[in-house]
Amino acid sequence: MKVSFFETVRYIPPEALPSGWPVASGIYDREAGAHAYEAMIERLQYVEELGFDWVSVSEHHYSPRILSPSPMVAAAFIAARLTRLTIALLGPIVPHSNPVRVAEELAMLDTLARGRLVVGLLRGTANEALSYDLNPQESRERTDEGMELILRAWTETQPFGWQGRHFQYRMVSIWPRPWQQPHPPTYALGTSREACEFAARHHLGCGVSYGPFEVMAKATRHYREACARHDWQPTREQIIYRANMIVADTDEEAHALLRAQPNQAPFALRPGVRDAVMTLDARNIAGEARSPVVAGALPTTFIGSPDTVVEQVRRARDVIGAGVLDLSLHPPGARDLEALTRALELFGKKVLPRIRDL
Amino acid sequence: MTDRPALVHLRGAGEPEPTAAHALLSQRFRVIVLEAGEPASTPDSLVRAIDRLGLETFNLLAGAAASRTALGVALQVPERVAALVLEAPTAISEERRVAELATPTLVLYGTLDPVTPAVGRRIATLMRNCHLVFVYAAGPTIGIDRPEAFAEVVGDFLERHEAFVIRRTATVIHP
Repeated sequence: MKVSFFETVRYIPPEALPSGWPVASGIYDREAGAHAYEAMIERLQYVEELGFDWVSVSEHHYSPRILSPSPMVAAAFIAARLTRLTIALLGPIVPHSNPVRVAEELAMLDTLARGRLVVGLLRGTANEALSYDLNPQESRERTDEGMELILRAWTETQPFGWQGRHFQYRMVSIWPRPWQQPHPPTYALGTSREACEFAARHHLGCGVSYGPFEVMAKATRHYREACARHDWQPTREQIIYRANMIVADTDEEAHALLRAQPNQAPFALRPGVRDAVMTLDARNIAGEARSPVVAGALPTTFIGSPDTVVEQVRRARDVIGAGVLDLSLHPPGARDLEALTRALELFGKKVLPRIRDL
Repeated sequence: MTDRPALVHLRGAGEPEPTAAHALLSQRFRVIVLEAGEPASTPDSLVRAIDRLGLETFNLLAGAAASRTALGVALQVPERVAALVLEAPTAISEERRVAELATPTLVLYGTLDPVTPAVGRRIATLMRNCHLVFVYAAGPTIGIDRPEAFAEVVGDFLERHEAFVIRRTATVIHP
């Protein structure tokens, strides 16, 4: 089992923040921001020392919960400061990006990091459509087309034009090309039938997140079946499961930590906006409709003492088929960084060595 | 009506009847479809047919099955072919002569076409004025799968040749 640490860039605000999204940027504190990125590097040095395989970064906008609107910039900073960790860029939000730019930046990162890069391409959560004025109803189609254009830009050897539905370019010819050939290990992230089928058609990995094992297994089963229809079988490492984990010395302590967490996501959309977005944004798990996640806290599927968590990881491997765990060990946006360090240490010393060979 | 530039479509064996894309292109071009199934049709016979139509210069469009024949026509009367469009070409011959062609050429592939674009890349490498374009979500018969996308890029290329890389549609939202 490979283990990835989901780095969410901890911004510790000097004063209380309002609760709605977007968060007014006038309240931003530049010292706290600069410190968040330096502290990230210190934390990741420890993550590297503990023996994690990957660090993952993600794209989020307009709030301090996860302070990485540009995961490319975060990844470049990390690549320059750390020498062993593979950087998992999970991932650029494809539908509201310029796919050619995404291809260029990822190729540049892959080269700067000499191949210490894996990439997840995704549609983004429903609220992300609002950050760059994207029509939520178009986000699925733009994601599929954008991902296909990124793959084409990485691999095509001649200058080419792209006559798309949502994107049009008359000439594309990226420099640098990716360090890893034909391109970095790439995953289509998401549980939807569309993401699984895209991944299968293009021989990409699949990444599912947060849901209970049995529910995520529906998506990974669908993915493997789709791969079989395309005459190939993914490796275990081509399935990522991102999840929340609370590990403590005892099961009781872990559950007490969970009870102490808020049951709503911080910086929620206004109800009228949330409801309107939800009516426009169709989501599914392997073809079965599900509601988009826009407000509730995400489930925690690994919880307990190190012994308990090791058994849960074994079950996740068996049920989901995942070969990479991308773990959030402490809620993004929570202010208690010492708790994060304790969780990292406990996981790194008592769990990681025991799941490495699963 | 005759002031529209001529677009001669060489229709290869087994290729579809005129499509919605032809209808769109016919708003800007005088579209003439010539049967070009091999071996009955050769570049010689096609040039004679075009002569009989009284066309001095013309644009040339061909799908996979007729793309080699279309290159043959362009090699035979290069000064009369204003521009050449090859849809999903799968074969090329006479590479040395093709490399000397200065004809503005557009090579299109659909992203769902199972054929690799190797021949298109080869043509683009050989010819000094050749452009490769992928049409998203189209199979080998792009004009059927994405008629508007096909007609737009083909029409733009035939009108502006290599300057088609310069965007001319406005992006102003609110003036």
